[in-house]
Amino acid sequence: MVCTVKEDKGTQRNAEQAWADHTKAQKGHSTVASALRSLASLRLTLILIALLGFGIAFAYLWEGARTWPLVIPLILLSLNLLAAVLTNVVFRRQTALLVFHLALVALLLLVAAGRLTYLNGYVGVTEGVPFDGVLSESEHGPMHAGEFSRIRFVNRGFRIDYAPGLQRGATLNEVAWVGPDGRWHESRIGDQEPLILSGYRFYTTFNKGFAPTFRWRSAEGTELRGSVQLPPYPLKEYSQAAEWAPPGSGLSIWVMLDIDEILLDPAQHTSFRLPERYKLVVRIGRDRHEMRPGELLQTSEGVLQFEGLRSWMGYRVFYDWTLPWLLSACAVAVLSLSTHFWKKFAARPWDA
Amino acid sequence: MEQELQILWAAVTAYVLAGVVAVVGVVLGKRPERSVLVFMLAGLALQSTSIALRWERLGHGPFITMFEILCSNVWSLMTAYTLAYWRIPRIRATAAVVMPLMFIMLGWLMVAHPGEGHYPPTYNTPWLYIHIGLGKVFLGAVLVAVGLSCVILMRHAGLGRQRLAQLPNSAQLDELAFRCMAIGLIFHTLMLIAGAIWAQDAWGRYWAWDPLETWAFITWLTVAFTIHARLAYRLSPPVHAGLVLAVFVTAFLTFFGVPFISATPHQGAV
Repeated sequence: MVCTVKEDKGTQRNAEQAWADHTKAQKGHSTVASALRSLASLRLTLILIALLGFGIAFAYLWEGARTWPLVIPLILLSLNLLAAVLTNVVFRRQTALLVFHLALVALLLLVAAGRLTYLNGYVGVTEGVPFDGVLSESEHGPMHAGEFSRIRFVNRGFRIDYAPGLQRGATLNEVAWVGPDGRWHESRIGDQEPLILSGYRFYTTFNKGFAPTFRWRSAEGTELRGSVQLPPYPLKEYSQAAEWAPPGSGLSIWVMLDIDEILLDPAQHTSFRLPERYKLVVRIGRDRHEMRPGELLQTSEGVLQFEGLRSWMGYRVFYDWTLPWLLSACAVAVLSLSTHFWKKFAARPWDA
Repeated sequence: MEQELQILWAAVTAYVLAGVVAVVGVVLGKRPERSVLVFMLAGLALQSTSIALRWERLGHGPFITMFEILCSNVWSLMTAYTLAYWRIPRIRATAAVVMPLMFIMLGWLMVAHPGEGHYPPTYNTPWLYIHIGLGKVFLGAVLVAVGLSCVILMRHAGLGRQRLAQLPNSAQLDELAFRCMAIGLIFHTLMLIAGAIWAQDAWGRYWAWDPLETWAFITWLTVAFTIHARLAYRLSPPVHAGLVLAVFVTAFLTFFGVPFISATPHQGAV
């Protein structure tokens, strides 16, 4: 009997414990559920939309503040949307509305992923000189993992027509590159047509100009070719000068192109072309020289030969793997939103 | 160019006549709906001819100079409103409110300089036409919502209650205004997507916070805010009408104000 009583007491204690655990778990669940419901509030959506509006105004007015004023409301909005999808019965009843909100969440996440992995850069490539995979300016997200240094292509020249008043027409740029099959391919890129290599997009820009090309033979006998990209033309028509240091030498060579003709007549229809009448002024220290194509110049550290004048084109480089996914998410969002409103409005005539 | 402008003047005259007849009809309690529709259609036909002549002469659509932007926006707003006027007979009395709103834009158009502008090479893409066309549908839908909202607000303020009695009750007008805003949200979203595709192809970035992009996104947020506010708070017709007017003001600043202060619609992206 005693034993039974003891057992009963133990069972009661166990039951009490189990009930306490159950109540605690229920409380925990209800706390989570209540937190989710608060996070899913439509009123909170309104506040967050307004907050995003302020963030945009802030980012617009202060160029340096374009990350956190936008990222914080976007993250909060995506949490609000996710919570709404999890807790709101409306989304289970209205599939189109659910798909629209999920597409919005996907959009927000893709934009964030794009910001972490993007690359944005700039490079000028001289006609006929292969691009060596090095950008002159670039910025990228902290998780950018592309293999940009392997990319090679050749700028084979371009054509740009100008209307009177120096109004720039279309850019038509011939490019060649080695494909994955190891063969050379050619195409024409321009204002709406980038060159796309391994996901990197090369866009022509309004920056272009002249590039004197040289052959440099050092005193040790090493020989190399180089080109000096002068400032953009006709944007900086009156400052066509730049400095160049042949690799491995301590020389600083100042080069200036003195054009003795009107290349782009503002009164007529013209095309961008290389000058025919020009002088190339080369200054090394206090020595001044004028060079013609093919001429040699003996310096203290080697021989400089002016091979001729070429053109160069400035390319903007952009990489963002999320682009096709962003477009897909946008298409899904618009289609689902249209379906939702179509169903909603078809139930009652417009002229009721 | 003289001929284009003369035809445009004739179109403006037809629009003004449509507006005057609509206002007089409401004031006198008459329903000259057929006359208003005829004047509106005549104005549209004349303005379309004027735009077509200019397009043929310059070789590009009306979206470079302030004059062209105003002209094409007046055309698209009138097209949207005329369609609504034709298809939803019960809201025709709103013409007495909408047409005077149009007079402001017509007056602005007539004082804008009609000279030609430079057509940048990056504008030579079908995405430009898709982008602009979608934006114009958005603005047209918002204009119809504004007409309905103004009637709700006038009734609420005790103005012209008897004169506007031929229109449905405010709850029905509010529902119609909400539908127009929903259409506006869809077309505004499509406009942003088409613009982003064009910007990516033309300038190597799909978004760069230029003034027009920023203002267009702010407008999208005001539309989204208005739709959510009506759903979340079950707003009364006058409050919803006030929000619709706020959307219109923001959209007006975006479509007209930003091109007014910028040399080109997307400054820096040309």
